[in-house]
Amino acid sequence: MAIRWSHWSPRIALVPALVITAVAFVGSIGWTIYISLTRSRRFPDYTINWDEWARQYERLFKDDAWAVSLKNLLVLGIGSTLAIIFGFILAAMIEREKRGEGFFRTIFLYPLAVSLIVAGLVWRWMFNPALGIENFLHQIGFANASFNWLASPDTAMYGIILASIWHGSGFYMALMLAGLKSINTEIWSAARLDGVSFWRLYIEIIIPMMRFTFLTCAILLSLGVVKAYDIIVAMTNGGPGSSTWMPAFFALNAYAGRSNIAYASAAAVIMLLITAAIFIPLVLITAWRVRRQEAIAQ
Amino acid sequence: MTDILPLSPNQKAFKEYPKKPAKIKGSSIAILIFLTMCALFIAVPLYVMIVTSIKHMDQIRLGEIFSLPTQVTFEPWWKAWNEVCSGVQCEGVKVGFFNSLAILFPSLILSIGLSMVTGYALALWNVKWAGTFLFILFTAAFVPFQIIMIPLIILSGIIKVYGTIWGVAIVHAVLAMPLLTLIFRNYYKDIPNEIMSAALMDSGSFWRIFFEIVLPMSGNILIVVLILQITSIWNDFIIGLYFGGIGTKPMTVILANSVITSRGEISYNVDMAAALLTAIPPLVIYFVLGKFFVQGITAGAIKG
Repeated sequence: MAIRWSHWSPRIALVPALVITAVAFVGSIGWTIYISLTRSRRFPDYTINWDEWARQYERLFKDDAWAVSLKNLLVLGIGSTLAIIFGFILAAMIEREKRGEGFFRTIFLYPLAVSLIVAGLVWRWMFNPALGIENFLHQIGFANASFNWLASPDTAMYGIILASIWHGSGFYMALMLAGLKSINTEIWSAARLDGVSFWRLYIEIIIPMMRFTFLTCAILLSLGVVKAYDIIVAMTNGGPGSSTWMPAFFALNAYAGRSNIAYASAAAVIMLLITAAIFIPLVLITAWRVRRQEAIAQ
Repeated sequence: MTDILPLSPNQKAFKEYPKKPAKIKGSSIAILIFLTMCALFIAVPLYVMIVTSIKHMDQIRLGEIFSLPTQVTFEPWWKAWNEVCSGVQCEGVKVGFFNSLAILFPSLILSIGLSMVTGYALALWNVKWAGTFLFILFTAAFVPFQIIMIPLIILSGIIKVYGTIWGVAIVHAVLAMPLLTLIFRNYYKDIPNEIMSAALMDSGSFWRIFFEIVLPMSGNILIVVLILQITSIWNDFIIGLYFGGIGTKPMTVILANSVITSRGEISYNVDMAAALLTAIPPLVIYFVLGKFFVQGITAGAIKG
């Protein structure tokens, strides 16, 4: 009896997860896409005027703040790739010089445990023009040094990039370190025997071998950049003006600030499309990689 | 497809290597100096946070952000804990601390319980559409929160949990479910078939096998997932901000409100003390359980 009953148990056990997936993910995404075609404002209004179904999207792409958000998405995305590079350099150094590995790893990774709100607030304090690092630089003799990045629309994004690099490079270091350690030890000794120079070893052998790790890092970074919200709230709250708006910030502002759920939904749909554009290559690469590993295994 | 989640029972995040014989070369020194400088850069914000939080405002106004306090004071900490204002409420970040704790426990139980059973059912039982479902979960783990937030707000209003501790906890559990299920499923799928068939022969039912065999084997992965979840729930801002009501907002939201919207003279020392108080619980976990923390973070990477 028990055995027969057990055929049903796994299915019953899966019901909550299925319901959640169907309602909270699939259904909710569908709902948001639908609402983005309507003229809903504070409350959902389910009538669609098919003659102007793209109304919210047309508005969106005429909105200067949205253009700024998209531009900042690119700026932050490009800027934060420094975190990957920095992470790789750190990992390579740690891997080469095994002394102090535990100590350095602990230091480089602690920012990950700190919430982005806290991280943003500390950096905001350090960017303080009168009392922060700028003042310190002036005191030690760099009279023209300017570190008041957050106050100007032209440089505020660089401040956010710096804080993001501080927060994220440890994570990429951890991924890179795992990647480096999975490289066959024979390659290191072979390279040493052949007298391959330090730079050639890394640029021509190690980095190409780790291209999947780099790709994974790049994709994870892009996904993180699309979601960037907390750090902006904590550092600039979108300012000065709307110079540090990002899509996530825009969507939530359209919802909470302007109480316009159709507009917020349209922005969210574009975010989903951007995520999909990053996500699909990830799926393809992983699938390709799995197939290749299977081919090697045979 | 789900193989980018790098956890399996026998895999360690970092392999131990034998130590090299101690003979310091010039290049080693250069590397160590470089690493130390990078470590200083990474450590500076924590240092600044700590020294600022124990300085008097008089010293802070001198503008020496890196100097040690001439006179150590713990008054900012007391103020941050008891008096800081968030909106019109001036009861300190302790309100947020207790809210965050109250959110944390139900979130952990809901999210881990649900994902564990789901992961176990998908990994060890023949469910026909398991592959499809896993793929949908994998996709769901990447979805930006904004695309499901508004319907979730409406739904949680319908089931009357919007603005409550339970509302926040349920949303945490819902959002964590896809990723945690994948982590558990990837861990359980490596349990040998022989164990499962032996257990089935022994008239083991779904739940008996779960509680008597699978659960006792889950120690490692449970610690990793616990740390991942504690950190991400504690550090969450968006869910707390949009699903927490008056008096149920978590610590990060109280902190952000009190620092960003504070009016009048700004007490940077109190701000930094409040920030530190918020950062301490995950930092303690990190420094005590670092190894598991790294595994958790890498596994939760796609959460962003």
